[in-house]
Amino acid sequence: MKISAEQKLGNGNRVILVKRATPNSDSEREEYLFQELRELAKAAGYLPVGELKQTRYPDSKYQLGKGKIEELAELVRSIGADKVIFYNRLSTTQLFNISEICKCQVIDKFQLILEIFAKRATTHRSKLQVELARLRYEIPRARAVVSLAKKEERAGFMGLGDYEDSYEQDLKKRIARIESELESAEKDDESLRALRHKKGFSLISLAGYTNAGKSTLFNAIVSESVDVRNMLFTTLVPTTRALDLGGRKALLTDTVGFIEDLPHWLVDAFKSTLNEIFLSDLILLVVDANEKPEMILLKLATSHDTLWDRIQGVPIITVLNKVDLVDESRLDSIMEQIGYMAPNPVFVSAKKGIGMDVLKAEIVKHLTPWCFCSLSLPNSEEGMSILSWLYDEGIVHRVEFGEQIHVDYEARTEIVNKAHALLGPKEV
Amino acid sequence: MWDIIAVDISGRHRIKGGYYMVCAAAALTVSANYIEKVKQVKILPLWLKRAPSLLDVVQLIEDTADQLSFEGTIVAEKGDMYNKPRWVTESMFSRAFKYQESIAERRSIELVHHISQSARNLLIKELQIET
Repeated sequence: MKISAEQKLGNGNRVILVKRATPNSDSEREEYLFQELRELAKAAGYLPVGELKQTRYPDSKYQLGKGKIEELAELVRSIGADKVIFYNRLSTTQLFNISEICKCQVIDKFQLILEIFAKRATTHRSKLQVELARLRYEIPRARAVVSLAKKEERAGFMGLGDYEDSYEQDLKKRIARIESELESAEKDDESLRALRHKKGFSLISLAGYTNAGKSTLFNAIVSESVDVRNMLFTTLVPTTRALDLGGRKALLTDTVGFIEDLPHWLVDAFKSTLNEIFLSDLILLVVDANEKPEMILLKLATSHDTLWDRIQGVPIITVLNKVDLVDESRLDSIMEQIGYMAPNPVFVSAKKGIGMDVLKAEIVKHLTPWCFCSLSLPNSEEGMSILSWLYDEGIVHRVEFGEQIHVDYEARTEIVNKAHALLGPKEV
Repeated sequence: MWDIIAVDISGRHRIKGGYYMVCAAAALTVSANYIEKVKQVKILPLWLKRAPSLLDVVQLIEDTADQLSFEGTIVAEKGDMYNKPRWVTESMFSRAFKYQESIAERRSIELVHHISQSARNLLIKELQIET
């Protein structure tokens, strides 16, 4: 018997997606959030085989109504699903109750995100971050998990309370160990950032909603070939490459995307990765322009929400990507609606390479300005070595060789001061 | 650049004798990610014997904003409006209203939050209100 690729993918991974919507909520937005759940499930390697929605206020026992949960259990049986994924956050009791009725594993959106992260984590640090996020998710549930697991047990030696305490303590100890390990990695990062600044590199990072096209833009702008997929959370481990801005050196970092309702424990766990964004000199906020303005606004709001408290007045350039798919009049109307959320907008198509020069010019405009300077160097071995150093550290605009070497150059203040110290400036 | 009126209410918790709330409103000019100008700030206290309803909150915000000599869209935190959807709160105000979205709007709310909180602390101390 032949097994299709879909069946192969679905083997052990067949899931039913469930979402509870609050009454009077915007139906279009609810559909978009459901679509996001579908995309997340696919990104985790699941095959969605069924869907269930209910509009009601949450039920403390089951999240949905009892009848709907029974309908879900019937659906699980008839389709033969292996897992149920809820969009809504589930309490430990709800997880337990639903899985008891459905007789299969039940997870919520946050556990799903953790699963995706765990799959994509390739480096030691990212594995630690995923583990930390998982433990932080688990700790408020630790006691309840143990109580529910041994509901039938009787008190005795090491009975009841003891397990619960020791399990929670164990989680806390593991969290502390991982935190200290990540802290030392953060210190390494800090010194690396300081070194890069000292070497004259400006640090630029790509931020934006997941699947906005950050990695495609990264590849286009630095001629790299990092993994690009039409999938959520393709990038988890940050990649940094040198970016040439007409002689100015900068380092561009591609990093993890944002998502709506990303819980704080997850943001905290990925702090050292997200610091690449928060502590950079310039942020390129990438947005998919080929979406409805309302969606763009929602995604921008999520990005602003993640960034606002953590960046200290760092300039932002809003990069509207995929403009090749949007006609000019529509672009104007989009800008009219999203203008108040899009600082310094630039239109590009990373895939087609449109607007890259404009973007680079905009980046230069927002970096710390360099000083223009003129120098007269002795036409000697020492003068030639200073000239070579100026070529390395700045942009040399004009050189005239004669009895003396006349140089017009552009560099950061420290370099100009150092050159002044070596030789007196002729003209600044 | 956009003209906004950022508002925040402090003290929506019960103290002895009721609820002592202070609303702060600031007329600001903002760009997408920076507060460009702070034009005026006003505060207004309110005593309530019972727990404030959404209508009380709307009235307090309107009264505080009315003291300002500048116009603008009222921007507030969703929590201040009992997390009601925008269409509900929007329809209750006599002028344009929205929840905070951009970085500048969030910074503005942060600013008025500190103003309302410190004004309330000062008033509670000066008026010797028992908490």
